[in-house]
Amino acid sequence: MTTKRKLRALLAMLFAFALIAAACGGSDDEDADAEESTDTTVEAEETTTTAPPAPEEDGSTGGTLIWAHEQEPPDMHLDDPNNNLSITSWIRRALLEGLYGVSAATEYYPELLAQEGEVVDNGDGSFTINFVLRDGLQWSNGDALTASDVEYTWNIFSEGCELEDDGTIGDGTGCVYLAGDRTGLDLISDFTVVSDTEFSVTMVQFFAGWKALFDEIYHPSFGADATEINENLREWSNADGIFVSSAPMIFDSWERGVSFNMVRNDSYHGSASPDARNDGVAFVDGVTISWVADTDAQINALKAGEAHIIMTQPQLAFGERLATDENFTVASAAGPVFEHWGLNLLNVHLAKPEVREAVAYGIDKSEVMAGLYTPLFGESLPAEGLGNTFWMSNQGPYENHQSKYDGNNVDEAAAALESAGYALNDDGVYEHPTDGVLSLRVGTTGGNRLRELQQELIQAQLANAGIDIVIDNVDGAAYFGERPFSEEALAASSSGGAEGDPTIWDITQFAWVGGPWPGGQAASYLGGNGNNPYGFANDAFDARSPECDSTIDDAERAACYNELDTYVTTLDNGDDGLFMIPLTQKPSFYGYLSSVLSGAGVAPDANDAGPLTNVVDFQFAG
Amino acid sequence: MFAYAVRRLLTAIPTLLFITFVVFIAASQVTDPRDRLRGNANIDQSAYDRITELYDLDRAPVERYALWVADVAQGDLGVALSHGEVPVSEVFWDRLGNTMLLTGPAFILLTIIGAVAGVYSALRQYSFGDYFTTTIAYFGLAMPTFFFGLLLQVVFAIWLPNLTGFKPFWSSGMHLDSFGQYLSSVTLPVATLILILLAADSRFIRASVLDLKSADYVRTARAKGLSERNVVRRHIFRNALIPAVTIWSINAGLLFGGALITETVFSWPGLGRLIIDAMFAADLDVVMAVTVSIAVIVVLMNLLADLLYGLLDPRVRYD
Repeated sequence: MTTKRKLRALLAMLFAFALIAAACGGSDDEDADAEESTDTTVEAEETTTTAPPAPEEDGSTGGTLIWAHEQEPPDMHLDDPNNNLSITSWIRRALLEGLYGVSAATEYYPELLAQEGEVVDNGDGSFTINFVLRDGLQWSNGDALTASDVEYTWNIFSEGCELEDDGTIGDGTGCVYLAGDRTGLDLISDFTVVSDTEFSVTMVQFFAGWKALFDEIYHPSFGADATEINENLREWSNADGIFVSSAPMIFDSWERGVSFNMVRNDSYHGSASPDARNDGVAFVDGVTISWVADTDAQINALKAGEAHIIMTQPQLAFGERLATDENFTVASAAGPVFEHWGLNLLNVHLAKPEVREAVAYGIDKSEVMAGLYTPLFGESLPAEGLGNTFWMSNQGPYENHQSKYDGNNVDEAAAALESAGYALNDDGVYEHPTDGVLSLRVGTTGGNRLRELQQELIQAQLANAGIDIVIDNVDGAAYFGERPFSEEALAASSSGGAEGDPTIWDITQFAWVGGPWPGGQAASYLGGNGNNPYGFANDAFDARSPECDSTIDDAERAACYNELDTYVTTLDNGDDGLFMIPLTQKPSFYGYLSSVLSGAGVAPDANDAGPLTNVVDFQFAG
Repeated sequence: MFAYAVRRLLTAIPTLLFITFVVFIAASQVTDPRDRLRGNANIDQSAYDRITELYDLDRAPVERYALWVADVAQGDLGVALSHGEVPVSEVFWDRLGNTMLLTGPAFILLTIIGAVAGVYSALRQYSFGDYFTTTIAYFGLAMPTFFFGLLLQVVFAIWLPNLTGFKPFWSSGMHLDSFGQYLSSVTLPVATLILILLAADSRFIRASVLDLKSADYVRTARAKGLSERNVVRRHIFRNALIPAVTIWSINAGLLFGGALITETVFSWPGLGRLIIDAMFAADLDVVMAVTVSIAVIVVLMNLLADLLYGLLDPRVRYD
């Protein structure tokens, strides 16, 4: 046999081997799916106490929903300040329920509670809130979920804390349980269990965000003490095995870098969410979160049938590749995460209210929305952009406080600048006789094309108004540490420029997170607050903020937050206002196989609950 | 040879120290694990303090580097912040194994295909086959890893199944349920890794063979009446391997480096994804562990190449 023949034979063998191997891969794929499904069914039968729900007319029970997502959590301990990632809370939403849940309309609803908590004014400045749990609550192992479990959760939160004279945990000194934020919990002075379903919590003063407390209840098996639970939460398991659940899913396994797997909780007591159409146990056998690091690869995984649902950062490619394909459904909705331009009040130009007003006049939010957001997100966002930093457009109390700046207002911008002594120079840019050319740097976390396009669009708008904008982004999270939240910048902000370096940044663009209780937002604007980068220090605002938080009536409190917002988004309350220009809400953005998820009701909400918020409703086509 | 190897390993220590020093200082200047706490208006000061203490962030970078070296010398690679604060070694070895599952076959196939294509191109210079392999090689050289990976996904995991109903490859993820699953998931990332490096490999060997084809001793071998097959096998191919060993040793390091992007595109949970995730999480200990591992692999492969020279070329002596 000649060399050529041998080579041909070798090539033929290699080709044949490749085909056989590929065929093995393909068939194994199908077999694996079948095995997985069968295994899950067996497990479900062994642990079932409730029969699976009857299928919807257009759907069926069973099957494992695969969600391809980019960011894998470092662990499952959400209260660890290193791990305040949304993905962790999204997963835990499917595993644990709390006293209150958050609806798609970004409003609280009683989740484990039978009714709204009753707030009682004790007359001495303290308040007691009486809670009643729903009947029939149970854990996935069949244990009843009772008030003792809530008490256990509180005991874990407060273990080791050095108590103040009034019985509260104070600033958290000595606390063993890892928590980056003890806001509200630090006001609790007493926790009393009345019965299996009734308990009361006493706070030394009213706390407007009380419904956000105890948003997850732990089972005593999670750990004997806070030290143990800190460890166990990371892997969602204790020495006896995986944690029990109180939500539609149970943790099954976590293969780092590959997938996170959950199976149906057949002992689930049913959802109280106003958005849920299924009040029984989940339709699907389980949910697998497949870690796909790249957004384009996620789209490919979806198109290749390896994932059923993806949720990415809003981006142009997503809409272009999926929205035009009838096999896929793209859904989006407004939520509590909002993009803004924050102005540095210590900048020599931006310190002048006329300049800030000129910037607000110069930005045409409607054009930004029409050019960038509406084509992608349709009518889910207001066409005129966002005009409030406390309430979002989909929330009842929302008011647009920047409506006077809507549209293209170059003349008004020019008038404002000229009233402050600016004049146009030969380059078409306004210049101040002592403070120089009106050139401002805007920075954000580089690499997000949608944000960058937005910057470029506003840059062009402000150029028409005679304001020079220089884009000065920093890649990734380093932006925050290097610019608005650098030690030097924060020192300058909290000292009014006496310390630190106020020139590190001029304008910042990033997203803040609101929610059903927007009071926490005020901390970013309080004078001297270590996390207030804007240099805003207004005594009236600082005094009004706690007053709002202590207003018991929901409607009055909502109005109070609207009043607070006028301090930061308008000049109505003084010349130091209008340093925040909210631009738009950042929508959640889902894509899913329309042929597979028939009427699954993938909730396109962005209330920080993620796509698993209505996991109980997920259903495959019949 | 043993003494030479030991000497080389000892001389590699300053190199490793220099590399790690530069990476540590540079990384510590641009990453701070407390960054993620900033921007949360309600975060407790105790959270900052805890991270500061855990990673000695109140010390100067040079001082922290010295502490890190001391810890590594005792086998302590630190704590993986991006993995629930478990020891870095727990994460590292797992991910190294996954990367080997990807780069191992890629290295073997690259070496074989590169050698075959290079020798074939040289022996059939200016033939259709030569032009074809050259075109493929330059295509790979010009193609960005990221784009080529996504292209393979679209063609072989989306278009091909849509057209034929036959789905041979996973678009992403590592599937180890069976050998068939492994092949299904590893094929596209391996192809991506290979194509990018194939150009250098095949062109280098082609040039080497072309040089040898007209060497005096090859002409002598032919004059002695040896068959062309024996001339190629005994006198050209073996001698062409000597310089090829260099590029193979370089390939080993490049494969690990190239795996950074390939693992991200194909969601392969190896060292590449580990270091990228770690960089986003400002997880300096993990970044350092992966950096050191790549540096060590490059150093070891260079050493191996030097030792192989002696086996392939009797003229080389380790004095």
